[in-house]
Amino acid sequence: MELSKEDVRNLAKVVELNIPDADLNTVALRLSSLLLLMDRIEKEIGDELDRVDPIPPVYPREEF
Amino acid sequence: MIEEKLAYMSIAEQAALIKKKEISPVQLVDAYLGRIEKWDGVLHSWITVCADAARRDAKHAEAEIAKGNYRGSLHGIPFGAKDQITTGEIPTTMASIIQPDFGEGMTATAVDRLLQAGAILLGKNNLHEFGKGSSVNFHFGEPKNPWNIAYEPSHSSTGSGVSVAAGLVSVSLGEDTGGSIRGPAWANGVVGTRPTFGRVSRYGGIMYAWTQDTIGPLTRTVADNALVLQTIAGHDPKDPLSSTRPVPDYGKQFTEELSGMKLGLVTEMSVGQELHPEVARMLREALEVLKSLGATVEEVSLSKAKYAVPLQFLTSDCDVASVFVRKWLRKHWAKFDVGTRTRIAAAALVPATIYARAMRGRALVRNEVLAAFRKYDALIALMNFVPPLKLEDSVEKIDTNADVAARMFKSRRICTYPFSIANVPAISVPSGFTAEHVPMSIQIAARPFDETTMYRVAHAYEQATEWHRRHPELEKTVGPALGKAARQMAGAK
Repeated sequence: MELSKEDVRNLAKVVELNIPDADLNTVALRLSSLLLLMDRIEKEIGDELDRVDPIPPVYPREEF
Repeated sequence: MIEEKLAYMSIAEQAALIKKKEISPVQLVDAYLGRIEKWDGVLHSWITVCADAARRDAKHAEAEIAKGNYRGSLHGIPFGAKDQITTGEIPTTMASIIQPDFGEGMTATAVDRLLQAGAILLGKNNLHEFGKGSSVNFHFGEPKNPWNIAYEPSHSSTGSGVSVAAGLVSVSLGEDTGGSIRGPAWANGVVGTRPTFGRVSRYGGIMYAWTQDTIGPLTRTVADNALVLQTIAGHDPKDPLSSTRPVPDYGKQFTEELSGMKLGLVTEMSVGQELHPEVARMLREALEVLKSLGATVEEVSLSKAKYAVPLQFLTSDCDVASVFVRKWLRKHWAKFDVGTRTRIAAAALVPATIYARAMRGRALVRNEVLAAFRKYDALIALMNFVPPLKLEDSVEKIDTNADVAARMFKSRRICTYPFSIANVPAISVPSGFTAEHVPMSIQIAARPFDETTMYRVAHAYEQATEWHRRHPELEKTVGPALGKAARQMAGAK
């Protein structure tokens, strides 16, 4: 998904982040590129994503 | 010249001399302090140098050893810590100017264990701001590669890699979320280990990518690396995710050959990519060495490895942002470096549904990596498809779509992130030099908690080559820049 600077400004309001105009383009580029890549991942392995639990690989232990 | 020889010795060599009382910890600390004074005005590998405290501790170690209370191979050995790892009263700056100290009086367990072993804290190493690896401007000076200062020293635990390579300290502790230990080890020609997640306590590291952050050593040899990891590893009640598994004696498994060892060469992180000719040559030669030691090497495909870079940005960076936004980013936007703040801001805006999908993706990548370990004892990969870049090309400046492809999803990340999100141990081992005298490395990964095999392969390879015996000639590589740096400082005054 290609996000505009205005999209980013509005999204940032949700987390109460006031991004100065000078940085909006860079944030939009970074976020858009990540979302585009996730789109591609969904297209390629989306069904597999549905079938796996998102367990963080952190080796927790059970004390009791 | 004697001091230079001493400075570049391995910990094992220095420890042998200390134990025999042929050198004292005071001599060693003074040698390093003298070299830092001479070279670090150009190299910028330190933020804080604790000269007085280090001399005091060295005298204490000297007295203990004189009385026959030798604690072991790290007694009297100077170490540095990435300035993201807390050290009690010594400030932890995070290479940020937001506040002078983020440490809140904590001492990281890894640091504490080195101190208990008798090692001497020499100071805090420079890093990319907050360890995020995206700095454009450096508040404490831009670290330089001691082999060739025109080339990058890689990202994040940069000062740790530079200082060990330049003979300014014996070992430094770094932090690796995606490749922050292995990257600086690669570019500076030293050994760097990302341990299995849970092998080393995270307590006292100022880091918030809670599913991936690791603390590990950068050293000049594999044996030194194993010694330091063994000292800092093990369960810590202060880190609920640290493992209770016993820590093996890594060095006991070292052999000069690798007969019967099955190694998988990950094609997506090596020969399946377009490689720089010097990297391709280096890889061919490294594989020949491994085969000559008795190992079998087969190509193995990890088809999902290519997803690792966006999956990490869409998960671990969001975990970091969840803390940074409230604590610092809203209030101190302008005091952050532009690379750090725009990276964290982008992560802060990732929808939760996408974060959760990306976490599922990480599980798939990990499953694929673990499946490969059912067939292979260790996996081999490059650290990068190209040698270290010219300094100006390595900066993560994102102004255009082309910058995103070239700088954000660069090939070093493609090589290190798959093992990071799988949370398996991985080591960067020096394996050659370019025509410009810049180091290159291969990467060896092993099953979770099987650092023993990782070190065994790395050690046998290292001993069959001579790369670890080479050190930068600072008079030639840094010397010409010293006068310029002095003139600039005088001009600034």
